[in-house]
Amino acid sequence: MALSDDSPTKMEVQNLNAFYGATRAIQDINLKFSDRKATAIIGPSGCGKTTLIRCLNRLHETGPKTRVEGSVLLDGEDLYLLDATAVRRRVGMVFQKPNPFATMSIYNNVSAPLRFNGRPSREELDAAVLRSLKQAALWDEVKDRVDAAATSLSGGQQQRLCIARALAANPEVLLMDEPCSALDPIATAKIEELIAQLKHDYTLIIVTHNMQQAARVADDTAFLYLGKLVEFGPTEDLFERPKERLTESYITGRFG
Amino acid sequence: MNSDPLADTGRPRGYDLEIRQLKARAVAMGEWALGMVHDGWRAFNAGDFTAAQAVLDRGTELDRLDEDIEHAAIAFLVLRQPTAGDLRTAAGLLKITTHLDRVGRLGFDMARITTAGPPKEPEEVREVLDRMDTVVESMVLQSLEALGHDRADLARELFRRDDEVDQLHRDANRIILRELRSKANDTSRLAADLLVARHFERIADNACKVGEKTVYALTGQRRSEYLPRHRYTPYALETPTTTRGTPEDPPSS
Amino acid sequence: MKFDRAARRKVFSNGMTVLTGLSIVAIMVPLVAVIYQVVSLGGPVFNVALFTQGIPYPCTPHPGVTCHQGGLVVPIEGTLLLMGLSALFSVPIGVGAAIFAVEFGGERRSARIIGLVADVLSGVPSIVVGAFVYALLVIYYPSIVFSTLSGSFALAVIMVPIVTRTCEEALRTVPNSVREAALALGISRWKVTLRIVLVSALPGIVTGILLSVARATGEAAPLLILLGNGCEHPLQGITQEGCALPLWIYEGATSPDQNLIALAWGAALLLLVLILVLSVVSRMTLDRMARRMRGE
Repeated sequence: MALSDDSPTKMEVQNLNAFYGATRAIQDINLKFSDRKATAIIGPSGCGKTTLIRCLNRLHETGPKTRVEGSVLLDGEDLYLLDATAVRRRVGMVFQKPNPFATMSIYNNVSAPLRFNGRPSREELDAAVLRSLKQAALWDEVKDRVDAAATSLSGGQQQRLCIARALAANPEVLLMDEPCSALDPIATAKIEELIAQLKHDYTLIIVTHNMQQAARVADDTAFLYLGKLVEFGPTEDLFERPKERLTESYITGRFG
Repeated sequence: MNSDPLADTGRPRGYDLEIRQLKARAVAMGEWALGMVHDGWRAFNAGDFTAAQAVLDRGTELDRLDEDIEHAAIAFLVLRQPTAGDLRTAAGLLKITTHLDRVGRLGFDMARITTAGPPKEPEEVREVLDRMDTVVESMVLQSLEALGHDRADLARELFRRDDEVDQLHRDANRIILRELRSKANDTSRLAADLLVARHFERIADNACKVGEKTVYALTGQRRSEYLPRHRYTPYALETPTTTRGTPEDPPSS
Repeated sequence: MKFDRAARRKVFSNGMTVLTGLSIVAIMVPLVAVIYQVVSLGGPVFNVALFTQGIPYPCTPHPGVTCHQGGLVVPIEGTLLLMGLSALFSVPIGVGAAIFAVEFGGERRSARIIGLVADVLSGVPSIVVGAFVYALLVIYYPSIVFSTLSGSFALAVIMVPIVTRTCEEALRTVPNSVREAALALGISRWKVTLRIVLVSALPGIVTGILLSVARATGEAAPLLILLGNGCEHPLQGITQEGCALPLWIYEGATSPDQNLIALAWGAALLLLVLILVLSVVSRMTLDRMARRMRGE
């Protein structure tokens, strides 16, 4: 299916199927994600969108009785043939409910991926924390209290902290699973602005149930229903003139 | 038992009703405009000032209908944040009302340029203008039917009929200019006839535009996707193709 | 009519209040009695000497003979040694089993079996544990049958199920979002478990360990079999015969000599105090560690 322009493909999904025990959650998905663009994945609850992105960073397989078939390519390499931990350093994730490490300070949270994966010097950590907090548009709000507990931040700030933490690991792709659904409208707006900025440096894949949000932040949008990919294309086209009747029914609210 | 099958989607109950009402309002405005054309032409044709005045007085209502629809469509866009077909419909209606307003305005103008007494031009002129009126009014009616009953096919067909109107317009021009040159007739009346012919052509054009927006609202297709590109040239360079009139008439100058 | 029913209900309600009050008193009585007994009989020997001197020669006061009070140095040392050793053995096993059950077992059979085993094991009478260790050592390692070391084996067996269960619960209270967040950062499974999850559950784990130590400290039955006769002279080594407070309470209380009996009561009081302190400290630790971790 056509993409918004001829950007190179950063990530590609081929014939992907994922199972929970005997239940097939996603079926024969083929999808391409363009480099340094934001792709939204929309669909009603239970359509498999969360399962799909959890396959992209190999988190799906950590669950009980789970199975994945098919391939996920990052720059042409099949991620399922690589070491899972290494994959997750290249493909980061931000979750629906902000989950900073409650026992750690802001500084320690952001520096966690570096501290647990090597022996960086204090200078390296300071630099990384500064960079990540600035990228997540949180620096100005916390620069005087980076040693405060992470739990002292508001919900929206905690989510930006989680984004900073994910960025500190220096991923190539950032997955976001309904990043704003637990936040109030102002925090949501800030994060959407942030997403527009992050696109310059990272490839973003965002699961959302909010169609206006998908329309605002994403270059391309994929619509999933009952585990299958129904339609995929540039966001504007999908929202103005969807090709599939199912897509039109969903986005105009006739079901879901 | 819940009688509304849409009750537990995200879609509010009044939604579909609002869209239907928007369209109905546009159709009503179109009928009002068409009425102004119909009566405007008859007033002009008969030289009837009373009838003309009646048409002129309908102008305010036309404006009001236009504003109401615009207001309602914008409210719909803001409150419902529609997508896909619903979005195209709301956006399309905003443009459609502009075209319907022009149709009404053209009828208004025909009444405005009414000159006194029964017409004093050749039969031929009156015939061709009458024919234009018939075709054009039917086109407007067809565009309203397409809009009100979701008939993209009827809407597309308007473009074909527009060709006929173009042809009639050329014929009218040719005949009127010929009569003007002969200096035997009431020139001011003939000048007004020229304007009227042009008004009819404009009305047909606007009816086509209404059809175009209707097709867009229903299918998302834009004009270039179903109409061949037409290359226009100045009238002066065109050759006459009508069966009426003498072949040795030079191209209208 | 109506009045009658209301009156009856009121009488019944008041009666139940009185009865529940009485049962609370009934529960309190033995507890208060025990405490009173121990404090009044053990109190007199509570002085510095208790903590510095060894077990005295048996002696009953009569004219012309002064009896040394003596002290509990040896049993105290023995108890501390036992606590340390048994913790050393039981904690790694217990924590390890809990980690396996929660982090890697998941829904699998093995995870549930661990829980089941722990529950069964915790129900085994401590005397049976003592006899088991005795029989095992007699066959395979007779030289240490009667020693502090063998006593600590038995106590470790008693402690393992408690450590496992409390550790398991502590790990389970760490929400899954923490694990997922850490994994998603590209941190390896083991590091996530040990350096993040375990650390997060640490208050609960420490409490569990302290509580199990408190429990084991008071166990007398296996020690009666396994410690041997080491109370009269200073402790020599963990492979030699040893002593502990519960053991001494038995020896001293059953001896005919007054001073030894008095010392036994002192040991009883000391033991109660020790267990009380351990319980309170474990609860305070939980509270403080948890609060410090949350950054308050």
